Amino acid sequence: MECRVLSIQSHVVRGYVGNKSASFPLQLLGFEVDSINSVQFSNHTGYSHWKGQVLTADELHVLYEGIKLNNVHHYDYVLTGYTRDTSFLEMVVDIVQELKRANPNLVYVCDPVLGDHGSMYVPQNLYPVYKNKVVPVADIITPNQFEAELLTGKNISTEKDAVEVMDLLHAMGPDTVVITSSDLPSRLGDRFLVSLGSQRHVRPDGSRTTQRVRLEVPKVDAVFVGTGDLFAAMLLAWTHHYPTDLKTACEKTFSVMHHVIQRTISYAHELAGPGRRPSPPQLELRMVQSKADIEDPAIVTEATVIS
Amino acid sequence: MECRVLSIQSHVVRGYVGNKSATFPLQVLGFEVDSINSVQFSNHTGYAHWKGQVLTAEELNVLYEGIKLNNVNHYDYILTGYSRDISFLETVVDIIKELKKANPSLVYVCDPVMGDQGAMYVPENLLPVYKNKVVPLADILTPNQFEAELLTGRKINTEEDAIEVMDLLHKMGPETVVLTSTDLPSKQGDQFLVALGSQKIKKPDGTNTDQKICMDIPKVDAVFVGTGDLFAAMMLAWTHHHPKDLKTACEKTVSVMHHVIKRTITYANEMAGPGKRPTPAQLELRMVQSKADIENPAIVVEAKVLQKSSQ
Repeated sequence: MECRVLSIQSHVVRGYVGNKSASFPLQLLGFEVDSINSVQFSNHTGYSHWKGQVLTADELHVLYEGIKLNNVHHYDYVLTGYTRDTSFLEMVVDIVQELKRANPNLVYVCDPVLGDHGSMYVPQNLYPVYKNKVVPVADIITPNQFEAELLTGKNISTEKDAVEVMDLLHAMGPDTVVITSSDLPSRLGDRFLVSLGSQRHVRPDGSRTTQRVRLEVPKVDAVFVGTGDLFAAMLLAWTHHYPTDLKTACEKTFSVMHHVIQRTISYAHELAGPGRRPSPPQLELRMVQSKADIEDPAIVTEATVIS
Repeated sequence: MECRVLSIQSHVVRGYVGNKSATFPLQVLGFEVDSINSVQFSNHTGYAHWKGQVLTAEELNVLYEGIKLNNVNHYDYILTGYSRDISFLETVVDIIKELKKANPSLVYVCDPVMGDQGAMYVPENLLPVYKNKVVPLADILTPNQFEAELLTGRKINTEEDAIEVMDLLHKMGPETVVLTSTDLPSKQGDQFLVALGSQKIKKPDGTNTDQKICMDIPKVDAVFVGTGDLFAAMMLAWTHHHPKDLKTACEKTVSVMHHVIKRTITYANEMAGPGKRPTPAQLELRMVQSKADIENPAIVVEAKVLQKSSQ
């Protein structure tokens, strides 16, 4: 398999977020991963302390220039996630547009990180950039419910709302949309959250079809960081292997997440000791230890095809 | 296995040198790798063009401070390679000293990158820093012949010279020394180069002994970049699994190198086409494709244990 990904995300010295979360799993699955580190921090910002440096939009451009001057700016995928800076995000858009000119088949996988649980955790002025510039060039997006509502201006209270929101997102650009988590009530009870996906295809006869899926995903009582980055990377991988089968791509992706998270929470509790809440360092994803699950995830979540 | 490595090396967007060369293989072998990127460049400097940014000594210190403030400055290994800046290297030394105080069992694997084939390719003023500050802290050292000669002030013309130089290097600090390549004539002919290794071992009864080995390694007609970084990373891994058996650690390390290099040169020649020399971009190590060889290298080179001339 000869498949090259350009991933533009954070780097942390310790732990698994951003490029640290995305690169190893993609490499394990045989992808060539070129990575531009948008920041270099000691660790993610959920720890008591964090220190480091950020890359400016200009410096990003300089790195891209180097790649271009050597005529190696040919990618099959671009992957982006958490960004805090408008000019940086706009430079990313320019780069994606140029890379798409160099390879019209390029697939841009975008996690439109804006916030969660009803509030934004990036500067508000990123919102119009995502809405008007980023999402229109994305092919696959992985918003959570809050981000999907923000981007479309529509609230999600029912599965029908979610389907409408995903259709609105399709109309903005991406053919594949996965709402990674929602507050919709799960058929399996309150220990589960609901995720949904939607993928548009053009049939050989030119007509359009949409496959929509729903998954009931077990909740875990802990705050993980980097899971969204792992999710987007694995969705990239599994949609690559199942480009017209969103059901299978999602089952594999959500299953990998499950295995990594289970291993992580077990280890974290072991480290923390009985009755104590694990700390952020203890909750770092057990990425390296999950190699076998990443390479070949046992399916533990079944997706239901919905109309 | 719960083993944490701090690797302070370059990052390239594209390709496999520095941390890009060391991290994936170590992770594949189950090591937790914390990585501080000393630079971020588009690609290595052997391409027609390269662009990017460097980390200052001050910025390195800031990153380390972050790790320390969270009380997670506990490592089993440190790994360093190519450096161009004295103040950066000196900050690295300070960090290592502090980490060794936090964990006295810490093993510092150091590739003292200074040059090759008779010429230095880092600023000259790095030599005294390596000689006086870095090498004394190192536990495992992977110099090539030129670097070994520079550090000890002694030339290597024979196997005896190589042994004496490795003993001089032991005296400077590291208990494990591997001369990754030399010009010494190989018994297998001129398609081979000679590598040597030496490890000081403390016996259970408290006395010292050492194991010295040599290997004949097939030469490859191409310039690879990042192979030294992969070598040092794999030496870290295999000496971890075979801490008192340099012969096996070297056989595994050199064998991994062989598999990766062969896969790379085959692919590069394919990409270049018949009769054409591959470009630097085409010669990037086939790292991801070599996962199985990295996990479990088939031994293709046998190391010979050298008999001690005296004890």
